[in-house]
Amino acid sequence: MAEFELDCLGEACPIPLVKTEKKMQELDVGDTLIVMIDHSCALKNVPEWARKNNYDVEVEEVGESEWEIFIDKTA
Amino acid sequence: MAEEAVKKIVDETEATPSSRRSSSRSSRRSTARKPKKDQTLQGLILLVLVIAFGIYLATISATIGIFWLTGIAFGFILRRTNFCFTASMRDPIMTGSTSLTRAVLIALAITSIGFVAVQYGASIKGLPVPGMGFVVPISFATVAGAFLFGIGMVLAGGCASGTLMRIGEGFGMQMLSIVFFVIGSFWAARDMGWWTLNFISNGPRLHLPEIFGWTGAITVQLVFIAVLYILADRWENRNQEL
Repeated sequence: MAEFELDCLGEACPIPLVKTEKKMQELDVGDTLIVMIDHSCALKNVPEWARKNNYDVEVEEVGESEWEIFIDKTA
Repeated sequence: MAEEAVKKIVDETEATPSSRRSSSRSSRRSTARKPKKDQTLQGLILLVLVIAFGIYLATISATIGIFWLTGIAFGFILRRTNFCFTASMRDPIMTGSTSLTRAVLIALAITSIGFVAVQYGASIKGLPVPGMGFVVPISFATVAGAFLFGIGMVLAGGCASGTLMRIGEGFGMQMLSIVFFVIGSFWAARDMGWWTLNFISNGPRLHLPEIFGWTGAITVQLVFIAVLYILADRWENRNQEL
């Protein structure tokens, strides 16, 4: 039930998604990953990828053009 | 004051993962955030300036005024919808998602209908059909160029419209992209004559309405787009089952 942060600020699409995919493999079930992004493209494909994998996803805009994506590794 | 700070640190480090998760999730959400600036006023001022500048441009040339407005509208839509031509071509392979691919196909279908309406309207009035200058020969150069452009746009994180939109968003890396985009375009423009002469002009020049007639052309085009749409939809679901 640990929480991890993945800093993808300044990374253009599709790097945040690739990093997220790799990081999620390391996580245990029940862990949460917080992906920090500022490339609006990742705002679309990261949550989409996570939902497709049946993870719980929440997105929050934390600043101007800066978002945090919360992904719960549910399975 | 100091005691409070220490207590906070202890709380943060000693909390069990489960309690930390629930508490930190709620705390992360409310505190330690840059308060979001309310930009309604700036937005309204900008809107007025956009309209004013549009009116000014229209006094010079109506076309430039229309370009200004469509450009702003296009940027706004790209930004708010996360619409991205790069992702529409890249995501089916990288992530298996075809939602943007299908969005582009829908956009193409709507545009096709619009183009046919404009061109057909001109042709029944006996006017010269607009846009015929853009009916260019198809050759191997089209395929090769598209392939190179595809590699470039994935590395750069966006095509022209996407790059411009993200510069507006304040994404630093793509300011670098646009510099090299411009350099590349200049280089291409410099060599275009040679390519046109040796490769491009040898290709056939296709304008579907001249081959199938107006109804036939739009039917062929829409059926083709529909087939691509169905394939894209299948591709997405196929990946989902894996």
